[in-house]
Amino acid sequence: MTAAEAVRRYVFDGATVGMGGQTIGRCAMALIHELVRQKKRNLTLVGCNLSINMDILVGAGLVGRTECGTGNLERFGTTFAWRKAIEEGKLVNEDYSHLGMVTRFLGGEMGLPFMPTRSLLGTDILSKKSATTGKKFEIVANPWDPDDQVALLPSLNPDVAIVHVQKADEEGNLIIEGFLTHEPEMIRSSKSVIASCEEIIPSDEIRKYPERTTIPYVYVHAVVPQPWGAHPTSVYRYYMHDADHLREYQKCAREGGAGFEAYLEKYVYSCSSFDEYLEKIGGLKKFNQLRAEMMRIL
Amino acid sequence: MAETVKSDELMIIESARHIRDGETVFAGTGMPLVAAMYAQKSHAPHMCFVIETGPIDPQVLPVPTSVSDPKGMHRAAKLGTLREVLGCLLQRGLVDVGFLGGAQIDQFANINSTVIGDYQQPKVRFPGSGGANDIASHAKRILVICRHEKRRFPEKCAYITSPGYIDGPEGRKRAGIKNDRPDITVVTDLAVMSVDKSTGKLQVLKLMPGVSFEQVQANTGFPMTASPHMTTVDLPTEENLRVLHQEVDPEGEYLGKED
Repeated sequence: MTAAEAVRRYVFDGATVGMGGQTIGRCAMALIHELVRQKKRNLTLVGCNLSINMDILVGAGLVGRTECGTGNLERFGTTFAWRKAIEEGKLVNEDYSHLGMVTRFLGGEMGLPFMPTRSLLGTDILSKKSATTGKKFEIVANPWDPDDQVALLPSLNPDVAIVHVQKADEEGNLIIEGFLTHEPEMIRSSKSVIASCEEIIPSDEIRKYPERTTIPYVYVHAVVPQPWGAHPTSVYRYYMHDADHLREYQKCAREGGAGFEAYLEKYVYSCSSFDEYLEKIGGLKKFNQLRAEMMRIL
Repeated sequence: MAETVKSDELMIIESARHIRDGETVFAGTGMPLVAAMYAQKSHAPHMCFVIETGPIDPQVLPVPTSVSDPKGMHRAAKLGTLREVLGCLLQRGLVDVGFLGGAQIDQFANINSTVIGDYQQPKVRFPGSGGANDIASHAKRILVICRHEKRRFPEKCAYITSPGYIDGPEGRKRAGIKNDRPDITVVTDLAVMSVDKSTGKLQVLKLMPGVSFEQVQANTGFPMTASPHMTTVDLPTEENLRVLHQEVDPEGEYLGKED
């Protein structure tokens, strides 16, 4: 399936979108660009760390709410569009810790209404002032040991998860290599899943080594073959993040307004597909460099 | 002994001294990652590095710019999930040292990395907890590294993202945190402080070389006390600095280029 078709079919205005990747690693940028091109509006974005994948959607004016543990690109700075939208009161964020968010996906993937954690106790993350919904949490005693307390967090079942993985087959079996972050729990908790991938592999290979499958096809609705689909973030074993392009994005996001619009125009709106964008960011020469950087550190 | 030592070098080397060989160390992004790398390359070659995106016991290559940087995955024992490292290792209580940075830290060693001002429409929005709340809640010992400025050390954090002793010696226990009396050490460019468990408040244990207690007080937004056994931080050796610059941060990504 193409990115355009998958996004048209599975992402709707007002959807809660589970965001794959973390900071500068394996963000599903090809699919995110497609959300921007199709102007999917009033989205709620959920994940652990939300990064450039979230920030570009916020900057494009498509996001009403985020629920996450962090918004930033670490060494490359904060998520400027997100930060500005919150400071201007245009976007509501609900804060959890990263374990808090993955705990909510864990509840969701097992069909349970809530899940306990020992994190967050005693802090403002569990206080009325930072609850944007009626009931963000409940502190309860362990029924087997009344002196022991945990916080219950509401489970999360995103309408659609958007991830980028290394390998997939036509059936939708996914292989994620390297770090996994919150993705296994988030993918299994989502009502539909769109996965773009670096390469399509034969189903025979999946069936021959099924222990290597990270996510079986039963959870997955659309597979989109898209080499370099996480650029400018990295894909373990394939390519490093593109520090130059991340800095270019950050400069535009920090500037906001016309600077940000110019970025969107140049790299998203004026491109009919992600392949056109890949030509603009430097094509083969850039790919060879980022691939060589990755090979050096494996 | 080294002739001139920069404050960043001192902060990193001093905080790394708090890591013992063989310990399991959970390091957040930025300076904590650099200091934990320095410990691994110097006195703690057998420490088990844990990074929140999933890497368990990697031999970290110089120098990751993010917890998702593949340089932090090199020759790991396992590349797991966030739930595995933050849940199964950290929350379960298997992590010896949790290593954090911080935007603001108050007299009870609570950390704010979320907002200044109103939550719904803040004056400044910071990135948020990330794994910091989890680390501060569950690690057996907690190390914090940050710059010592008055605005970073308010009497009370406007928003508590990660728990220190909350409001006193029994604060964590009252809140239901199982790990209720951890060692918390804060290393800055001026001093090393730790929580006095009888008051739940930070006190100065060591001064950085050439720094006076008055200087620490002047840069702190609450009355600071000095430990009766207050000493001075040892200067790093030439070899310490060589390891830091050549093996940990050869490109000067965090420490800048050497003169």
